[in-house]
Amino acid sequence: MKGSRLQVLMQSTRRSIQKNIQSALVVLGFFLLWEFAVWIFHIPQFILPAPSTALNHLFIPRADANYNWLYHISSTVLAVGLSFLVTSLAGILIASALAWSNRLKEIVLPAFVFINSLPIIAIAPIILLWMGYGVVTNIVIAFLVGFFPVVINTLTGLEAVEEDLLDLVRYLHASKLQIFIKIRIPNALPYIFSGLKICSTLSIMGAIVGEFIASDRGLGYIIINAQYSMNTPPIFSSLILISLAGALLYTLVALLERIIMPWKSLEAQP
Amino acid sequence: MMSFFRKVLYFILFLALWEAAVALLGIKEFILPSPLKTLSHIFVPQLAAKYKWPLHIQATLLEILASFFITALAGNLLALLITWSGFLKKIVTPIIVFFNSLPKIALAPLFLLWFGYGLLPNTLIAVLVAFFPIVINTSTGLETVEEDLLDLVRYLGASKWQMFVKIRIPNALPYIFSGFKIAATMCVVGSIVGEFIASDKGLGYLLKDAQAFIDTPTMFACLILISILGILLFGAISLLESKVLFWMPNVSDRSAV
Repeated sequence: MKGSRLQVLMQSTRRSIQKNIQSALVVLGFFLLWEFAVWIFHIPQFILPAPSTALNHLFIPRADANYNWLYHISSTVLAVGLSFLVTSLAGILIASALAWSNRLKEIVLPAFVFINSLPIIAIAPIILLWMGYGVVTNIVIAFLVGFFPVVINTLTGLEAVEEDLLDLVRYLHASKLQIFIKIRIPNALPYIFSGLKICSTLSIMGAIVGEFIASDRGLGYIIINAQYSMNTPPIFSSLILISLAGALLYTLVALLERIIMPWKSLEAQP
Repeated sequence: MMSFFRKVLYFILFLALWEAAVALLGIKEFILPSPLKTLSHIFVPQLAAKYKWPLHIQATLLEILASFFITALAGNLLALLITWSGFLKKIVTPIIVFFNSLPKIALAPLFLLWFGYGLLPNTLIAVLVAFFPIVINTSTGLETVEEDLLDLVRYLGASKWQMFVKIRIPNALPYIFSGFKIAATMCVVGSIVGEFIASDKGLGYLLKDAQAFIDTPTMFACLILISILGILLFGAISLLESKVLFWMPNVSDRSAV
């Protein structure tokens, strides 16, 4: 059983890799074109550095604390990672509570749906005022930005259960807890993962914007700082790192999805 | 589903509780201003004059509307082009998907460096943030057409142009509107973040500026006005959707994502 599950996982992964190779080549071509365009047209470095210059910048050993990359990377990764974990756990738990109690849902859900339609990032300066500088502030901002999509997605999944199925198990005297664990939660899994994917992008956005408006470390801080001094290559170096962090988090979520729901990847790719 | 009336009632109850809590617990204004205090910063003339509300609202509104129209036009046009040409699709789609997965807001400072201060960089930041979801939604809509239907009209000798105008575009409309709705929020977010980072007017600028002076009521007032701008744009799109897609039964729950 375990072995066949692993086989299925590897098979579907291989298939999606094959499908993605073509796309990867096109994106690679785009970067090569950029690289050549910068060399051929002699575009000044402060306007648009070549991708190789930006990459190179990551590996120049410098005493300058501004470009202590590891320090800044770890700060941003910490903010993004922690906020993602907190957001997904809290979001799923609260959505479950709302699905469990109708009374609670009636009061809270309209507020959540309303807040979810607002540009939440605008609250960032107020959080900063309340909590001061630091990583925790950025985590809270990222949490607020990512929380509502997770709750609403999870709740939608918990509720989108076939009524017939519920009627059947009710007739068989299933308890509310049993219905939750055996029917509602498995049914919600695809919705939860799509919520987590949205959340992974939003967590990064929240953390970076937090670092923009006030922080003394992190990749967002480097970008803002480099912008003041018109030092463009480190901006692109940071962008590369931020994109990598985003891709990594997204891949982790997708991998977890494949492991927890191996049947889905088979359905999606016939 | 709860009635609209009850929702409004809850909202008013929430504001009343907030007002009472601030008064009873003696919460300091710079930590959490009461709703009335916040509103007074917008509506009491002596207080409001200092903040030049019309100027800032106008700047932000202009950025949001300009970025929305640019995104809506350019995004749908590109989606039409890549659906029309198979070759273009092969080249452009991977790049679009790639950029869609990046945290584009991180590019905002770069735009300031390229385009200087003012409305232009903020509008462009908003365009960048909102553009890719529109392209992806619209092209999804243009492509998810029943194959049988296409086969039928092909057999009847329909031209590619006819298939686009009579089948693909009407089919894509719900997706286009759901893209518009995503873009509406994104345009507000992009404009505001642009104003946070560097600007000399706009609600985002005022919000950031008020923070430096620990002027919390003004910050909340900005937050309210930003929300209202967002809700108005969203509402206008929903209204247009219900007029254009009057034949669709439940307009609200559709999305390409």
